[in-house]
Amino acid sequence: MSFSLNLSLSDLLLLLPEIFLTCWLCVVITIDFVSPRLPKERLAYLSVGGLLATLGCLAWFDMNQVSGTLFGNMFVLDRMAIFFKIFILGSTILVILASIEYVDRFTLFRGEYYALVVMSALGMMFMASANDLLSVFVSLEFSTLGFYILVSYLRDDLASNEAGLKFFILGVFAAGLFAYGISLVYGETGKLVFSDMTSAPATPGLIIGFLLIFAALGFKIGAVPFHSWIPDTYHGAPTPVTAFLSIAPKGAALAILLRIFIVALGTFKPTWIYLLVAVSIVSMTYGNIVAIAQRNIKRLLAYSGIAQIGNVLIGLAAGTKMGNDAILFYLLAYLFANIGAFAVVIAVSQAIGRDEIEDYRGLGRRSPFLAFSMLLFLLSLAGVPPLAGFVGKLYIFIAAIKEGLYTLITVGLINIVISMYYYLIVVKQMYINEPIDPSPISISGPMKAVIYVGLAGTLAIGIYPQPFTDWVVAATLMFANFVTPAAAVTPPSLLIGG
Amino acid sequence: MLEELTAGFPILSCILFLPVVGAIVLWFMDDEDTVRSSTLTVALVELALSVFVLLRFIPESAAMQFAERVQWIPALGISYHLAVDGISVLFVGLTAFLTVLVVVYSWDTIRHQVKLYMMCLLALETTTMGVFLSLDLILFFVFWELMLIPSYFLIKLWGGGAERHYAALKFVIYTLLGSVFMLVGIALLDINYHQWASLHHSDHAYSFDLLELLTVPIPISQQILIFWLMFLGFAFKAPVFPFHTWLPDALLEGPIGMAVVLAGLKLGTFGFIRFSIPLLPDASKSDMVVMVVVALGLCAILYGAWMALVQADFRRLLAYSSVSHLGFVVVGLFALNYQGLQGSLLTMINLGFSTAGLFFIAGFLYSRQQTTQLAAFGGMAKQVPLLATFFLIIGLASIGLPGTNGFVGEFLILLGAFEAKWWVGSVAVLGVIFGAAYFLWYYERSMLGPLGSSVKSTMNDLQLREMVIAVSLSIMILWIGLYPSPFLKIMNGSVQALVDRLHHEKTAALDNGMTERR
Repeated sequence: MSFSLNLSLSDLLLLLPEIFLTCWLCVVITIDFVSPRLPKERLAYLSVGGLLATLGCLAWFDMNQVSGTLFGNMFVLDRMAIFFKIFILGSTILVILASIEYVDRFTLFRGEYYALVVMSALGMMFMASANDLLSVFVSLEFSTLGFYILVSYLRDDLASNEAGLKFFILGVFAAGLFAYGISLVYGETGKLVFSDMTSAPATPGLIIGFLLIFAALGFKIGAVPFHSWIPDTYHGAPTPVTAFLSIAPKGAALAILLRIFIVALGTFKPTWIYLLVAVSIVSMTYGNIVAIAQRNIKRLLAYSGIAQIGNVLIGLAAGTKMGNDAILFYLLAYLFANIGAFAVVIAVSQAIGRDEIEDYRGLGRRSPFLAFSMLLFLLSLAGVPPLAGFVGKLYIFIAAIKEGLYTLITVGLINIVISMYYYLIVVKQMYINEPIDPSPISISGPMKAVIYVGLAGTLAIGIYPQPFTDWVVAATLMFANFVTPAAAVTPPSLLIGG
Repeated sequence: MLEELTAGFPILSCILFLPVVGAIVLWFMDDEDTVRSSTLTVALVELALSVFVLLRFIPESAAMQFAERVQWIPALGISYHLAVDGISVLFVGLTAFLTVLVVVYSWDTIRHQVKLYMMCLLALETTTMGVFLSLDLILFFVFWELMLIPSYFLIKLWGGGAERHYAALKFVIYTLLGSVFMLVGIALLDINYHQWASLHHSDHAYSFDLLELLTVPIPISQQILIFWLMFLGFAFKAPVFPFHTWLPDALLEGPIGMAVVLAGLKLGTFGFIRFSIPLLPDASKSDMVVMVVVALGLCAILYGAWMALVQADFRRLLAYSSVSHLGFVVVGLFALNYQGLQGSLLTMINLGFSTAGLFFIAGFLYSRQQTTQLAAFGGMAKQVPLLATFFLIIGLASIGLPGTNGFVGEFLILLGAFEAKWWVGSVAVLGVIFGAAYFLWYYERSMLGPLGSSVKSTMNDLQLREMVIAVSLSIMILWIGLYPSPFLKIMNGSVQALVDRLHHEKTAALDNGMTERR
């Protein structure tokens, strides 16, 4: 395997967003060091400015269909990579805006917080473009490094430290699994780039290797049985970090999973479909059932996130172009609803100082805006029409039904009913119970902006989803060659799948 | 002629969205009286629009009228498609009519959070209208599900019973459980269309449009699967025995206004006649399906009536009588002949006047005694003669006494049932007898005889607002009872087309509307 590093200027264009963001990151850190008296809020807006510029650059790429590969296929910029980069940047911007107030709770290193968030985002942008096992590993570790620090940012808080430690130990363990998986896959095939592996025979070593890689990525997206770090980490981490953790890394890891399962392992679909069906069923059911018993809103959202990932895996199990479109679409819907829900959690905990579901008593009286927003976000997560989550679930279910995955669909639908139950528990607290302290809750400007963006996204995707479906359909076009042609003519047999 | 009608103004969209826009406007009002009168205005305008549609509706026609169609999510083949035909147009009028009455009733009976209540009520009206107006199955499903949210709040926040939290949750979870199965059925219809379309190289790959789905043949095994999936959705909502257990709780614990809508608008059985039977004619005709569904219907008739007989609480009695009446409707529907379908459709409308009317009566009783338990009444006719009179009129309509609307509907159903299978008809007749028994017995114990010990002598007879409700319901009951032909004429065309489709004589009849439009 020869490696040429002859980069022309036009090649560098593909890396422009990452290069720009790296430079901007250095600028942010330098400014923080040079003028320590600068209000940290300015740093937040500075970071958001850089992220917005990067986002603009990516949007320009998307419109002009810039694409290509770099470094001997290690780095690929296609429309799906652009989609995920925009997804990651969008969530990063919203998280930073939602953090501004919260950062005052940190005793030290408030400026570095923003730099670390941007750094993690940078790592995840590389993940979205990673096209071989080594670049996946490097970018995965790069982004997780930032998170290790962010999770334990509340130095004096025991829960935050515990969360950080758990996340670190399990994260390093997953990284170990991943590295071991890579070595097995490389040993069996001699290849690292996904698209070169398509014709590899299914040897035991290869299978074990891919299972290990799947386990490591399953850890990232928080699918059962790799979820054990999620509740405690989500609970203990600073809430904006929890919000970040619950969205962006999942998106980035799904980009990699899509590339591995559809591109590298597309021919083995009849085999891996069982793995995905099983993981999906277990994730949905476990996440939803355990969520019922939660008393803390962050833990509730953690378990609901596990269940949501189960839904996303339905789309992956379908393994078709439509399934991939549905995953991307679902992630968009999830992004807005989840970030919005966490924004409300942050706003409430700023006012009350706690995150128990009990504390939401009478929120409808104290802050009609927050309560109504939370209601919409939760209903969207539950999949109630006409909100974004409904269209997302519908898209995924249609993709799966087309492949005859009836067992999976049935479990998925029953899970919607279960999830409705615990979302309604929160709704009940907000609207039915009387508040203990009826004083109104004030919301800061940036936080309002985040909630408005969440509401706008949730409603817009739900009511007029066409531009978004067009976008995701275009984003996965390059998969059209890899997915098995749909056996469209014969009616789907009832026996296939799970 | 159709062009002339559809060319103008999107009247169905106005009917659909007027209440929810009204609800949003209410949000900005503070004064409770302004809120009440604005809600009434919105409800009256809505009623006027619905009456206008009813007047301009061309009777004896199977065509979809006032159609509006816009692409909504083309990638999935979902469109925004509204229209009314003989099956749905009467429900639109009924919904608007009942909402006006509920607003009038709630005027002084709802005392806390009036604004939120009225907003929920108007939101509920929009979603109900959406269910009746939608021809796209996903659009239909959207409204079907959305209806749960205002209902949940209505039961939970303004319910009178101590168990209202439990009742609200049970209602939501049960209905949701049914509707997720229905969603699978809808998706299977879509996939079937997709497969057929890709075989015939049609341009739209997917469609959820009722009229387009009707043009596509569906293999019988698929039909039966889809039928049962959709059956679960409709059966939980209707509710068909044995899926009815949420109904008594929701009706007893929820506010009267909610009970009127829940018991008066037969959404579940509407789903059968709107979607299940026309889309899946072969499954609906198959012996297995007819046998199971009719058996459930007969069980519901007898079980509901039997349970109603022993209830001491009037609202619980009504809940079980509702189950019993729904059994009639189901039996009529699955007689699958002209009389049966027509009778069921008319009965669904009738129940909107009689059962809903009895719930208003229950509300009048409740506002006088703070309970609907039998123990609180007795000999009331002496104290409140007007109330007792209207109670009797509406109650007799619910039994199906000749001269009232209930008679026409039940008679047609029984006729259809006897024509289909004589024994089905003869079992169903028992329900009529039981129905008379439980109502008259309750009436006798509560209204006639010596004055009950807890009946206060200061009790007022019907107030002006209550009179408005009782009189307008009685007018409708007598009108349909004595001169039903305008109503039957409206539904005839669509019912005939449905029967033709079921019996393959001219399968294309239901599609006429669509071909004309094209």
